Order: sequence, then structure tokens, then C-alpha cells
Amino acid sequence: MTELLQFIITGLALGIVYALIALGFVVVWKSSGVANLALGQLVLISAWFTYSMLAQAQLPVWLGLPLVIIFALFLGWVIERIILRPLIAQPILSLITVTLGLGYFLQGLVGIIWPMSLAAMPPLFPKTPVRIGTAVVSQEYLWAAIISLVLFGLLTLYFRYNRMGIAMRAAADDQKAVQACGIPVTRIFSRSWMFACVLAAVGGVLISSIGNITVGLTHTGLQAFSVVILGGLDSLPGAIIAGPIIGLSETIGAGYLTPLTWPGIREVIPFIIIIIVMFARPYGLFGEERIERI
Amino acid sequence: MDLPAGTRNYSYAQDMAIFRTKTHWILLGVLILLLFAMPAYWHDWLSVVNRIGITIIAVMGLNILTGYCGQLSIGHAGFIAVGAYTSAILVQRFGVPFPVALICAGLFAGVVGMLFGVPSLRVKGFYLAISTIAAQFIIIWVIQHWTSVTGGFSGMDVKAASIGPMVFRSQASQYYLILIITIISVYFAKNLSRTRVGRAFIAVRDNDLAAEVMGISLFRYKLTAFFIGCFFAGVAGSLLAHTSLSISADYFPLTDSILFIGMIIIGGMGTILGPILGVIFIRLIDVLVTELSPALQNAFPNLPSGFTSGIAPLLFGLAIILFIIFEPRGLAHRWQLFKASYRLWPFSY
Repeated sequence: MTELLQFIITGLALGIVYALIALGFVVVWKSSGVANLALGQLVLISAWFTYSMLAQAQLPVWLGLPLVIIFALFLGWVIERIILRPLIAQPILSLITVTLGLGYFLQGLVGIIWPMSLAAMPPLFPKTPVRIGTAVVSQEYLWAAIISLVLFGLLTLYFRYNRMGIAMRAAADDQKAVQACGIPVTRIFSRSWMFACVLAAVGGVLISSIGNITVGLTHTGLQAFSVVILGGLDSLPGAIIAGPIIGLSETIGAGYLTPLTWPGIREVIPFIIIIIVMFARPYGLFGEERIERI
Repeated sequence: MDLPAGTRNYSYAQDMAIFRTKTHWILLGVLILLLFAMPAYWHDWLSVVNRIGITIIAVMGLNILTGYCGQLSIGHAGFIAVGAYTSAILVQRFGVPFPVALICAGLFAGVVGMLFGVPSLRVKGFYLAISTIAAQFIIIWVIQHWTSVTGGFSGMDVKAASIGPMVFRSQASQYYLILIITIISVYFAKNLSRTRVGRAFIAVRDNDLAAEVMGISLFRYKLTAFFIGCFFAGVAGSLLAHTSLSISADYFPLTDSILFIGMIIIGGMGTILGPILGVIFIRLIDVLVTELSPALQNAFPNLPSGFTSGIAPLLFGLAIILFIIFEPRGLAHRWQLFKASYRLWPFSY
């Protein structure tokens, strides 16, 4: 029972962080129709950047973390301006493959600047484990969940009340109409990429403070893809609900299925879920089914 | 523009000929002569050339699937792994002769590919990309953990390829084996692209709904594309296994699957020449970086040691991005432009 409680708590916390990263994907997809397959590499590069700021440059946390956010904003702006802007209205195949190329590029960049294979994120949260009921959970999980939830709240408020947020929602609905209203659509694209990078950066910091900084962080991007597939590509609530489902199935599945199957099942559970969703309900739990016309 | 001035086609056979004029045939003869004589004059490079040959077979399959039929697959390395292991297991454990194992590897990889291609009937674009990534991970996971059959993480040793009494053990003999199979694959792909099936693929790529309305069965042609594309991958995997003499799951990473996509983009999607150029381009960058990295490491002692491992992915990513932005039709298109301007020289049209 204790075991199960532990799995549930860690699964939920991880899942919420996945959902946070997935949200960055959904924002970009909704506003500009670009499928960002470089998500994992964005997570990786921002985790390493954080490591540089906090461990290598020895900056205090209050200065280092804002710098990470600024770096992420800048990265998002550059990516949109240089790579995606020339490709507006290109076929979806180009838009997907260009992000694959971007992912490759970022991974190479990480390999050049931080060639070590493993590093520990400097401790951001207190180390003492907490007891919840009978389970003992390390604090990183709880902090990760809390920070993610706060960010969800802030994003919801932004999309509801901020002018730009409302414009972004409108652009997701109908780009041409938005442009006719005099809203600069390119700025919305740029903004959405900046969001995606910041969310990936926060997710990267949280995930790597739970584990370590390795190339394995790119896997987080793949988990985020399974979140968006399960939740539906164009649904923000879908991502928030599907995240914990993926996180739970990962920890519970790894806990109880490993004796029955082979070790390492944890890494493939998201992919098995993807395949099941593809067969059963390809547009996800909350995704809008596209009716195509010729 | 494809034919020299003054050459006219008077029959259907002439119209369809791949090699139309005497010059074409002479150039083809020279090319084949050069290719078959390569071990004599380029012996040191044969291992690179062999790798290029195997990759061309695999990427030719991906080109049929993605370039002609428009079904993005980011799991091609996984399908190559299926072929490699099928062939290795058949030869090692059941004593099946290599040529039979080669065909079986292709067929089994094709069937597995078809299985993972089923979602393509309902979804496309990003969804299909993710489900093929899922295919890659599930395949590699099964290979890594089904120890009793595949040898698990430690991989397995494989016998050298052999046809009857001939054993392909030296680099040069492997080169001929790979060269002949590559030529057959390229010829098959070229002809496939201009048959009924190939035209159906192109129609599906350009607009699958319109194709269906025109009477093209999406079920049949999408799955055929997956089968043929993965058949090529399986054949390439079998060759890889029987020429490198040992395989493990690490030979087939996700990054390779992405690189294959990059190769057809750089070469030019939906052309036969494209994948060949793309593979050569990427593999040569790879070789160049490997050759230069000790020198670079010495030249920049201030950078952290081991930084050269990141150069190759950086360049690959950069090449993919630059080609998509500036030359989406790839090197093959550049070659076309060059040929046209060469024919017309010194006039501009």
C-alpha cells in the first residue's frame, strides 16, 4: 500500500511536469501549426544552461534562474525568427523535419559546449524527504508539482485576461481573421515559441533536479509528445489532464509490470500508450477531430 | 529539357527509356566500370563506401515511403534493426543460407513496418511521425530485452555473408555484394516510381483525400508503401549484419532515423538521385569530422575535451535546416539546374 501511494505521488508530480512541457508544444501547435519535435533538446539545453549558471559560474539562485528564463526567451525568439519565419505556409512535412534538424543542431551544440555525459543539478530545494501518509517522498517532486501548478495558473490567467493572450487564442481559432483585425500574427508566433522555450526550460530544471542532467533528458520531450497525443494536439486542458495519466502509468506500470515483463518497461510505456491511442482514438481525449476537405 | 537538342522520341519505348542517347549509355558504361573497378584504386575508402551503399539501400526505401508516398517515418533505424536481427537469427540459429535470410529479413521488416503503418490510415503528419518514433523505441526495447533470442544488450555475433561456396569476408568482396544489391534496389525504385503503384503513391502524397476520391485505395497503397519502404530497410539491415559481423541494438539509434530523413531532404525528396546524393553528402561530412577531430581538439585546447563529438550532429542539423529553408528540393534539383544550364551553354535559354 505504501508502495502504491509512493508511485501515485511521484507519478502525479512527474506527470504534471510533463504536462507543463507539453503545454509549450500545444501553444506552438495551436498558434502556428508547427509540430515542435525539438522539445526534448530544448529541455536538455536549458538544463545544461542552468547547470552552467549555477554550478560552473557559481551564480546565486536568485540571479541564475532569471538568467535561465531570459536565455529561454531569447532562444525561442531566435528559433522563430531565423528558422520558422521563412517557412510560414510551407507543407507540414517541412515544418516537422525542420524541427528535427533543429533538435539535431541543439544536441550537437550541447555536445560541443558540455561534452560531459552526466552532471548533477545543484540543489535548488531542501533535501529532507517528507512523509505523506505512509509514503516517503523527496521534496523535489512536491516542489516540481507546485511550481508547475502555479505556472498553469499564470498561463490560464494570461490567456484569459492579457491582450496578447487573447490575441493568441484568437489566432489559434482563425489566423486570417486575426490578421484582418490588425493583430500581428508573426508576433504571436514569436511569443508562442518563447512560451514553449520557457516552459521547456522550467520543465528541464525541475526534471533534472529530480534526476540528473544527461542526454536522457531528451526523452522527456518524447514523454511530452505522448502527453499531447493522449490529450489531443490542440487542447490545453487535454495536456494538463493527460500529463498525470502518463506520469502515473509510468511509475505504476514500472512498479508492477517490471516483474511480469522485462526491465526498462518504464521507458516504453509512453510509446505503448501512443500506439494504443493511435488505434483507438487518434485525435486524443480532448482533441478536435479535423474534418478535411479537398 | 531532359534531352539534348534535336533528340526526338518516335516511339513509346524511346519515350520511357531511362538511358536515351548514345552518350547516356557511354556515361553509364563508364560509371559502372568505375564502380566495379573501385577496389583497385580506392582501397582505403572501401569501408566508407560500403557503409554508403548500405545506407543508400535503406534510404531508398525511406524515400519511397516518405518522398513518394508522403508518409513520414522516423522509425527507419528500427526497421533496419528488425531486418538485421531476422537475418542474423535465421543464419546463426537455423542455418538458413544467406540469400534466403536476406529476402526473409526484407519480408519480415516489411510486415513489421506495415503493422506500425496501420495508424497512417487514420492520421498523418505529426501523429504519424510520433507513432513511428514509438515503433522505433518499442522495437529496440524488445531487441534489448528478449535475451534468449537476440542476445540482449551484448548483441550477437554474425557469420559473414556467403552465397554457396563464396564467402564475403574481405572488404572488396563485401563491396561487390553491396554494390550489386544497391544497383538492383536503385533500379527497382526508379522503375517503381513510374508504374501505376508509383503514380498512386505520388497522388496519395499530394493529397490523399483527392486520391481516394479518384479511386486509389488508401488502405492498399499506404500499406504497400510501408511494406516496400521497410523491405528495403530489412535488406539493408541484413547486409549490415553480415558485413559488420556483430550487431547490437546500439547500431540502430533514433538519431539515425532522423538522419535518414535529413538525407532525403538534403538530397531531394521524391527523386531517385536525391537519396544517393544525400547519403553521400552526410556520410562524407561524417568522415570529414572524424578525420579532423583530433586536429580540432589540438587546435582549440581551451574548449572542454571531447567537444568534437558534438560537431557532426551540429553540422547535420544545420544542413537539414539550411536545405529546408533555402533549397527544399535538395541537391537533386541543383543537379537538374546544372544539367540544364550545361546543355544550353553559352545561351541562357
